[in-house]
Amino acid sequence: MEEYSREPCPFRIVDDCGGAFTMGCFGGGLFQGLKGFRNAPQGLKRRFAGGLAAVKSRSPTIGGNFAAWGCVFSIVDCSLVHLRKKEDPWNSIMSGAIAGGILSSRNGVAAMFGSAIIGGVLLSMIEGVGILFTRISAEQFRNSDPQNDLGRAGAFASGSGMGSGDINSSPGFEFPVVQQANATS
Amino acid sequence: MSDNFSRTPYSDGHAATHEEASKPHYTTTTSSFSRTPVSPYLNYDSRYLQQAQPEFIFPEGANKQRGRFELAFSQIGTSVMIGGGIGGLAGVYNGLKVTKALEQKGKVRRTQLLNHIMKQGSGTANTLGTLTVLYSACGVLLQFFRGEDDHINTVIAGSATGLLYKSTAGLRTCAFGGAIGLGISSLYCLYLIAQENSSNSSPKYL
Repeated sequence: MEEYSREPCPFRIVDDCGGAFTMGCFGGGLFQGLKGFRNAPQGLKRRFAGGLAAVKSRSPTIGGNFAAWGCVFSIVDCSLVHLRKKEDPWNSIMSGAIAGGILSSRNGVAAMFGSAIIGGVLLSMIEGVGILFTRISAEQFRNSDPQNDLGRAGAFASGSGMGSGDINSSPGFEFPVVQQANATS
Repeated sequence: MSDNFSRTPYSDGHAATHEEASKPHYTTTTSSFSRTPVSPYLNYDSRYLQQAQPEFIFPEGANKQRGRFELAFSQIGTSVMIGGGIGGLAGVYNGLKVTKALEQKGKVRRTQLLNHIMKQGSGTANTLGTLTVLYSACGVLLQFFRGEDDHINTVIAGSATGLLYKSTAGLRTCAFGGAIGLGISSLYCLYLIAQENSSNSSPKYL
């Protein structure tokens, strides 16, 4: 099984629709199964039957809602990529807001505005967490500060009367000078 | 190269002697290379670099075709969209029929049409999507446990999908669903085998 990579637009729309449906089916099936298990009549056999009935009846609906959201989000995202000619987190945030507004358009203008705000804030948090993880993972690849190294080397060279322990911690190119200083003293 | 000079004939009197001397080379080189002359300013023969087949670069450890997991989301998304389209069209038809029978006009008719389209569209999309999720899940699990990806996986996944979809509707309906899954997947595999035999290409399992 290969590492999964996203398709380019416009095939990403179909893939995101399928991925969202799968996520809604399995995730919704898990939660609805637990809820049906809890709300079933007493008895272990009846509880499992209640959980199974809840999964069967509600999991496809949750999957369908997730698929609709993923489909509209991806259509708007690909449209924004095409119009703005760039890919950045603002595309996702605007896509979340616009998709939220579109999908609640039958509930009135106030509901559209509220859902757009919720979608935008949600995608902002998702993109923020993604950028945070990128910064954390990039920190371990950062090189040391050369200006700081030069400052430390200058401190060693300008000092007089150093102990023998400092020779090991000094940079390599300053080693003969420091050794000569110790030899004379 | 001096060999290239000897292959091209000269118009001088010396060319006759050179041509007679290099005639055995002429006959041996024409069997491997073409007779077109090459530039004497090149320090290599460019005909060595010509190859017929295209070349691809694969990452280390990567196989040369997409597996079942990569295609699962495409299949599920395609099924959901096709189901939504079919259900939407059926909803348009049913909505027009019902609103005409009830003689509704204006905003009420528009609302009823939208209700029919969205309910029937989402219903059919959810059904087809659920079937494809079951099929893809069975296929990916079979590929993972068997370690193979072939037509047998497709047939078993199709049968398992039918069995699972009707698993709580009684034994006879369950067996009927499994038979339908077996039939559809078998027909699809026969179609793939026929296409594979006609085109002689490498098989691509879905």
